[in-house]
Amino acid sequence: MIPVAPIAPVASGPAILQLGGIPPGAAQPPTSGPAFGDILSAGMKSVETKLSTADDLVRQFALDDSVPVHKVTYALEQARLSVELAMQVRARLVEGYRDLMNMQL
Amino acid sequence: MDAMQISRSGLDVEWQRLQVIAENLANVNTSRTAGGEPYRAMRLLSGPKASFDAAVKGKETTLAPQAVQVLGIEPEGTGVRRVYDPNDPQAGADGFVTYPAIDHAGEMTLMIQTSRAYEADLAALNMAHQMYARALDLGKQS
Repeated sequence: MIPVAPIAPVASGPAILQLGGIPPGAAQPPTSGPAFGDILSAGMKSVETKLSTADDLVRQFALDDSVPVHKVTYALEQARLSVELAMQVRARLVEGYRDLMNMQL
Repeated sequence: MDAMQISRSGLDVEWQRLQVIAENLANVNTSRTAGGEPYRAMRLLSGPKASFDAAVKGKETTLAPQAVQVLGIEPEGTGVRRVYDPNDPQAGADGFVTYPAIDHAGEMTLMIQTSRAYEADLAALNMAHQMYARALDLGKQS
């Protein structure tokens, strides 16, 4: 798992007061830590490596049965879990986007 | 270290232990090995995975949970079983053939113990897996 850096607060002070005017922190985006997109793509890369290791192990297991079967099932399960985590992140992202888009102004 | 990885290392170790026990049982009637010595019952030694750095510093206990690893396979200190059979091609000048003194009941007990330890590792792995899956459900809507 890749450690996820905490997301820095966008602006200090109650957000409800800043909705009307231009928030003071909006001009310069927070630059501390990696951007969310970078975290996302790094996570996707790790999902892909896990998938390919599981794939390799399955192939190896099919060719020669000296590979313990729990290694194969463990790798498959790890890959499944990381895909599930990625799906959850995607679901939250889409959910947040939809909530914003459906906002009645 | 991840609980799932620790359980997986335990699975690896028990798998190899079963292999060693199977080797012992398969060699019950082995009168000599390729080197000419009589076969001896083997035992798998396992221990917590300590880093070389920690071992050099003499720090035996670390705070973080560690995985288990195979330290080696060593012959057991049991003696040999000598059977008088002058017709056997492996018999010595005195007519005795040397077989390993493998304790069948002991090997069987160890085998059951190994299988139960493997099962326990699987149970721990399943539990860690369930906890992870539950954490994924956190905050899920619908």
